Amino acid sequence: MITVQVCFKSHFKELAGTSEDSFELEKGNMKELASKICGKYGKKMQAMLMDPENQSLNDRGTMFVNSKGLRVSIEDHLDDGEQVTFLVGIAGG
Amino acid sequence: MESRLLRVDLTKRELKSEVIPHSVFEKWIGGSGINNWIMWEHFLTHDINCDPRGPDNIFVFGVGPLAGTGAGSGIKGRITFKSPCYNMFGDSAGGGKFPYAVRFTAFEYIAITGKADRPVYLHICNDEVALVDASHLWGKDTKQTHQLLQAELGSYPSKAHTLTISQAGENQVGIASVVSDALRIHARCGGGAVLGSKNLKAIAVQGNGGLPVKMPDEMLAWSDDFRQKIDENEAVYGFKRRGTLGAVEMYQHIGSHFWRNNQGNMFRGDDVTSSDNWVKKYQKYSEVCSSDCFIACDSKYKIKGDESEAAAKYVGETFRRPEYLTTGSAAGALDVRDWSEVGHWGKITNDYGIDNQDLSCSISFLMELKQRDLISRKDVVDLFGREQSLEWGNMDDIENCVESVVFKKDLFGELFCDGPYLGALRYSERQGKNFMKYAIYGKGGASFTEEMRPFPTWMNNMAVASRGADHLKGIGLIEKFQRQDLSKIYFDGRTEAADLSTPELKGATTALVENQVALLNSYGVCMFHWMLDPAGYTPQEYYGKAYAAATGIDRAPEELMRDGERICNLEKAINSRIGMRREHDTICERWMWEPTDEGMYPGSVAANVFEEVLDEYYDWRGWERQTGLQTREKLESLDLGDVAEVLAEDGALAS
Repeated sequence: MITVQVCFKSHFKELAGTSEDSFELEKGNMKELASKICGKYGKKMQAMLMDPENQSLNDRGTMFVNSKGLRVSIEDHLDDGEQVTFLVGIAGG
Repeated sequence: MESRLLRVDLTKRELKSEVIPHSVFEKWIGGSGINNWIMWEHFLTHDINCDPRGPDNIFVFGVGPLAGTGAGSGIKGRITFKSPCYNMFGDSAGGGKFPYAVRFTAFEYIAITGKADRPVYLHICNDEVALVDASHLWGKDTKQTHQLLQAELGSYPSKAHTLTISQAGENQVGIASVVSDALRIHARCGGGAVLGSKNLKAIAVQGNGGLPVKMPDEMLAWSDDFRQKIDENEAVYGFKRRGTLGAVEMYQHIGSHFWRNNQGNMFRGDDVTSSDNWVKKYQKYSEVCSSDCFIACDSKYKIKGDESEAAAKYVGETFRRPEYLTTGSAAGALDVRDWSEVGHWGKITNDYGIDNQDLSCSISFLMELKQRDLISRKDVVDLFGREQSLEWGNMDDIENCVESVVFKKDLFGELFCDGPYLGALRYSERQGKNFMKYAIYGKGGASFTEEMRPFPTWMNNMAVASRGADHLKGIGLIEKFQRQDLSKIYFDGRTEAADLSTPELKGATTALVENQVALLNSYGVCMFHWMLDPAGYTPQEYYGKAYAAATGIDRAPEELMRDGERICNLEKAINSRIGMRREHDTICERWMWEPTDEGMYPGSVAANVFEEVLDEYYDWRGWERQTGLQTREKLESLDLGDVAEVLAEDGALAS
């Protein structure tokens, strides 16, 4: 069992109603974390977080990074104490 | 597919209508592609090394074939000209209702040359055109001009939509912009100065004609599918709510802002570090910037005055929400820490029709000199004719600087009217000191106010973009968002394009995305629909079907990518004729040599990878590494043998 810290920013924060949370994971991977987040925060969060076509993370208009600033994908292993930040992926304007 | 081009010779007061035949669309797609072609043809009979502020320069407005068709992909008009501030190819996109309205007149393209003997505006009403005295508009800002024209022209056959310049354009300030309906700015490269030099204050259009869609059933089907894809993506709803301000948190998290002339890359303060604060305090309602958009990312704000101490200065002010780069230039480059001041900065630079990227980088350059005690109190008085603190974030000083440039009312305005690069060069020469290490630029153009150093593709874009430092021409989202899935698609399963730790495939990504962006700009659609990626990050495939429905030109994706490459090569050829070579494809000292020291990617610096990425870019382009020039072989492979001949005559073709 590991604990992962989660940060929600901008639209993710609005959907979650909080900027921070933490989750205990048994398998310790991103798939499990995404499933727990969707279960806790509901359908809109699921629509934001997951790609309905292939059950991977929704890469479109989003950005999910670990504490090293690297994008995480659905199959990634997470370490105990890792922080994953959920961001809106947009630029310019 | 055919289209109409209105040619306006202001010197002779001649107005001529021409048909752009189908064959031109087959080669140049539309929008920016056709604008470039019109500019290229013009400079075959006029001196390409002319003064950009002289009568021989050309100003082209064009709108692409998808605009106004109901596709729902947003509309961007494009202006194209030789840039007066950078002295190279110049162009700029803008949304708003003006480009949409143009499509309901008889013309999709307008080419303006010469110089009027007194201020005029161009009035297009369906197929009737006239040059009208504009002496009553001269001296007005973009909002005043727009309002006067709307009142003057009435509402038949439609309300007038306008493209206007302000006093900055009239004064031929090199970084003066052109503004659509007083709301959406064609900011880059100084189109406002070109119109000002021609004594053309505005273009006003009224139209209620139809527009051709070759295969309307197919277009409707595409449009329905596109809308469904957008509606399915919750990220789009986030974008509707915040627009590009949603980038504030991401950039703050990874360290991608441009703070204090890019001495840092994080915003400071409690207010501007969160887009939530903007939304809660100021945002009133969402709206579309242009008709024919399924996203509607724009919104209006109103300042009540009690939101903060600073807000009290702007009671009642209403305008559109600042985009990210307006925020980056104020909260970043100038260290403004209150959202009301950021909104105000966006409004005044829009009303004055001036590029807030060039302007903020010019002001922040000077503020850094003051911060480092490299200029004295006496030097400041010399520049402005009065005392100025030039303290970071001081809005009174910042507004004074804006007016200095718009009205060229003092030495600062004269020196920095062409942006930070030339301004810093001129000021260094005047002071007998080299201040260039504090000037932030690429290829002589002002930086976009974002951190570049951790992102090799973005740095390369700043060096090679056809219009000077620019991220839009080759926007490096594959790299910045680390999209390994896209890297695999475009580079045969390789992931390096999305990997920040290696320079591999970064030059290749610039070339690839430049071609894609050239396509989007030629279709005439908004880039945000593509960036949000509801339909796949592939303009040559999904959007290609809409283009086929609109024009009847049904091309395979690889052919469309070749069309995009052809368009990029014509922009390159224009710059080669002007004399630009590899040595011009460079970036400023700070990006090259000073490592980042905050954010998630500290220690990032360009020098380690810059030349390698640039070489790779030239290789993927098929251009010569040593000079950066195009080869005859590459141009002929793109059906540009005639362009190769012109370049050979000018000594601008690789040997």
